[in-house]
Amino acid sequence: VELRLSHQFATGDVRHQIAQMIADDVAAAGVDLEIQIFPNQSLFKAREQYTPLSRGQLDMTVLPLSYAGGQQPAYNLTLMPGLVKNLDHGDRLSHSPFMDKLSEIMAQDDVMVLVHGYLAGGFGSNKGCITKPEDVQGISIRAAGKSFEEMLAGAGASISSMASSEIYPALQTGVLDATNTSSESFVSFRLYEQLKCYTPAGDTALWFMYQPLLINKSTFEGLTPEQQTALTEASAKAEAFYLEEGKKGDEIARQTFADAGVEIAEMTSEDFDAWLALAKETAFPIFVQETPGGQELLDMALSVE
Amino acid sequence: MSDPAPVDTPLPVRAMNAVSTVCGVIAALMILSSVLITCQMIFVRLILNRSTIWQTEAVIYLMIGATLIGLPYVQKLRGHVGVDLLPSLLPPGPRRVLALFVLVLTIAMAGAMVWYGFDTFHLAWSRNWKSETVWAFPLWIPYGAVPLGFALYFLQLSMDLWMTVSGRDNPLAASMAHEAELEERVG
Amino acid sequence: MEPLTLAGLVGLSTVIMLFSGISVAAGLLVVATGFLLIFDGARSLISLPDLFFAELNSFALLSIPMFIIMGAAIASTRAGADLYEALERWLTRVPGGLVISNLGACALFAAMSGSSPATCAAIGKMGIPEMRKRGYPDGVAAGSIAAGGTLGILIPPSVTMIVYGIATEVSIGRLFLAGVFPGIMLVVLFMAWSIWSTWRSGNAQVLSASSYTWREKVEILPRVLPFLAIILGVLYAMYGGIATPSETAAVGALLCIVIAMVIYRLWSPSALWVVLRDSTRESVMILFIIAAAGVFSYMLSSLFITQAIAEWIGTLDVNRWVLMGAVNVFLLIAGFFLPPVAVILMAAPILLPIITAAGFDPIWFAVILTINMEIGLISPPVGLNLYVINGIAPDISLKTILLGSLPYVLCMVLGIVILCIFPGIATWLPEAVMGPAR
Ligand code: NA
Ligand code: NA
Repeated sequence: VELRLSHQFATGDVRHQIAQMIADDVAAAGVDLEIQIFPNQSLFKAREQYTPLSRGQLDMTVLPLSYAGGQQPAYNLTLMPGLVKNLDHGDRLSHSPFMDKLSEIMAQDDVMVLVHGYLAGGFGSNKGCITKPEDVQGISIRAAGKSFEEMLAGAGASISSMASSEIYPALQTGVLDATNTSSESFVSFRLYEQLKCYTPAGDTALWFMYQPLLINKSTFEGLTPEQQTALTEASAKAEAFYLEEGKKGDEIARQTFADAGVEIAEMTSEDFDAWLALAKETAFPIFVQETPGGQELLDMALSVE
Repeated sequence: MSDPAPVDTPLPVRAMNAVSTVCGVIAALMILSSVLITCQMIFVRLILNRSTIWQTEAVIYLMIGATLIGLPYVQKLRGHVGVDLLPSLLPPGPRRVLALFVLVLTIAMAGAMVWYGFDTFHLAWSRNWKSETVWAFPLWIPYGAVPLGFALYFLQLSMDLWMTVSGRDNPLAASMAHEAELEERVG
Repeated sequence: MEPLTLAGLVGLSTVIMLFSGISVAAGLLVVATGFLLIFDGARSLISLPDLFFAELNSFALLSIPMFIIMGAAIASTRAGADLYEALERWLTRVPGGLVISNLGACALFAAMSGSSPATCAAIGKMGIPEMRKRGYPDGVAAGSIAAGGTLGILIPPSVTMIVYGIATEVSIGRLFLAGVFPGIMLVVLFMAWSIWSTWRSGNAQVLSASSYTWREKVEILPRVLPFLAIILGVLYAMYGGIATPSETAAVGALLCIVIAMVIYRLWSPSALWVVLRDSTRESVMILFIIAAAGVFSYMLSSLFITQAIAEWIGTLDVNRWVLMGAVNVFLLIAGFFLPPVAVILMAAPILLPIITAAGFDPIWFAVILTINMEIGLISPPVGLNLYVINGIAPDISLKTILLGSLPYVLCMVLGIVILCIFPGIATWLPEAVMGPAR
């Protein structure tokens, strides 16, 4: 059996590495299961992967789940300002009743998670440094998800929506002045070549995004028990690796940008509080209003220690 | 178009030509509005220094819509370029056979796009998909342009097929001269 | 089936399909659908409309209809004729002033318009009758305008450069700048040939100039000012970092429509409709090809053909200039039959990795590719500019136009050779303006 996995990331990125680990492990298990990886959005465009996954056109993907927030508004909670405190906290969220609830929603679209994982990220800009809400006034920024966009629009920014793989050319052509994405993307898409100032994920980080490895549920259920076991075992191993690499990623990004001569800015805890206050006025209420059972989901997420 | 329709043009063909012309006007207006909206966006961002939320997405959808709705009109104008070396070398009989072959394949392709395009449109409609942006535009509208545009294209092609079968027209004939004539009107 | 065998089969089917006379976009969709149906099963067709949609779902593509409108609006006015007349009045002392002002007007108009037929039509309508009236050979009159018109896609803005930039993720701003000096170089080569061949044809006396009074020279100037203002404004907005190419193009399009209406009194709805109709027709045609090419490349990737070709090329071991020669021959042949946009969309994503692996600069290659496409515009059987000229001057036979254009084709080949020896002609300006490339 051959499964096709598509993602938008470069082959050096940790999100490609977890896919490659699983492909290697299931091949080694000798259960007649092969995973064909199409990296760099060479099959489907970054934002166009969830629909074919849900319809069984695509078997697997590594995807920022919030990209599909237009289809399932609940997913917007996987990229919500101030919800995740650090990657270990993100890991606890991934194995909480909150995630069970999200899994039920994914199952409605015939999608299930093989590898959970959050990644942290920061701000990068060509027009000054971004640490507090006033800094985005009047600039054109990309934020990866609706909730962040609502918060940034609330701060007076112009919003452009695009996949992380499109940020580089957008910065280059001036479509964007600034962006918000994961540390891994900042490095793997070589954004240090285009940015003048970088605000990395430090002790206080605002931006955490859930980016799981997904599989079509029917495809998974159609596999033999041996194949399923090989896949889940390989996934468990990959998940542990993903968490550890995610922690290293923030430091690597800071170092890479500093080495490239990009100015590094720090977000203070007062800055963080200003952002969170803004989010509570903008993104939180919109989420609750637009999402069936939104308040319950938000409370479940907030209750995870 | 200025060329007078031959007397023996059947009513459905004339009706479809009129529909295609209306489609052309709609497509042109969509492109014109994307010019205006983009200028408005620059004004709001650079002069008023305010947030722009919906403009980028709107002009993209307008451009997609113009392309799809414009398909039948451009087909009517014979404006979809192709390599007409072989057709231009063939005598009228075989050229008609070739034209039938080309039309049937194109119609089949357009039919497939309508069929599967409707599927996506229906999903977006019934599940209330929104664009993943602050604007949260209902996606059934732009997705609906795919089956709609290809359905109109399908109809225009069917009329061309009719005219070709009955020997009154051949879409592969002299398209270059047509091209030149159209280009001349640009100037 | 082996991916490489499949690649050959796809290539062959595509050539046969396109030669049937089917429109390029429909042909690509039919081939893509057919191969997916046979080798991937009927299920895979579900994604086709989504792929088509996704391909068009890009803000960068907006610049295509915008630059087309810019060209069409100005081409519908007397602006081209004014421009040409101004140059002619100011170049009186130069031998061969008329053909020089024609080619100069083509170059300046090209700097406004993203499209070659628009350039060709705007200058040719005035320039060809004038050159013939003054005794220039028909071949020179028609050929110089056909060739000068092709500069529309080399001198920025250029619709084909935008398509290349999107297909290969190379900066469109850099691509635009890279076209400037090669464009000027071609203009100079064209002028040199025109003057020499007119002199040789025994019509040397036509090269001597007519004279204009200073009054006549000065009074034409205000008529070309709006024109030059737009060129400068567009350049400033794009390279001053004020707006993206798409946004700049939209403002340019609006300004051109306004100038056409206010300065050239293009008030009547029917005249405006002609501008809009022609822009719509050309934009829809190009965007349809772009979307279809997206579906086609999904098929190639899904059947693992793209990956197999890239791997296979990696194993080849040939001299880089042999490789470049082969690529040029391939592009020339493709350009004979296909419109530039179709060639770029199909060839660029496959060729670019090969080119960069062989140590060539992608920006420089874009210029080489574009000059090849310019040749395609004036070579049969699908040569858009030839038919535009045929429409403007119906009494010049297609054969005369073709023979007249041939020396200009050789000028372009010479231009490619010069660029291979001195790549800096293309790469210097983008690096000077936008800093060193990566
Ligand atoms: Na141009
Ligand atoms: Na040609």
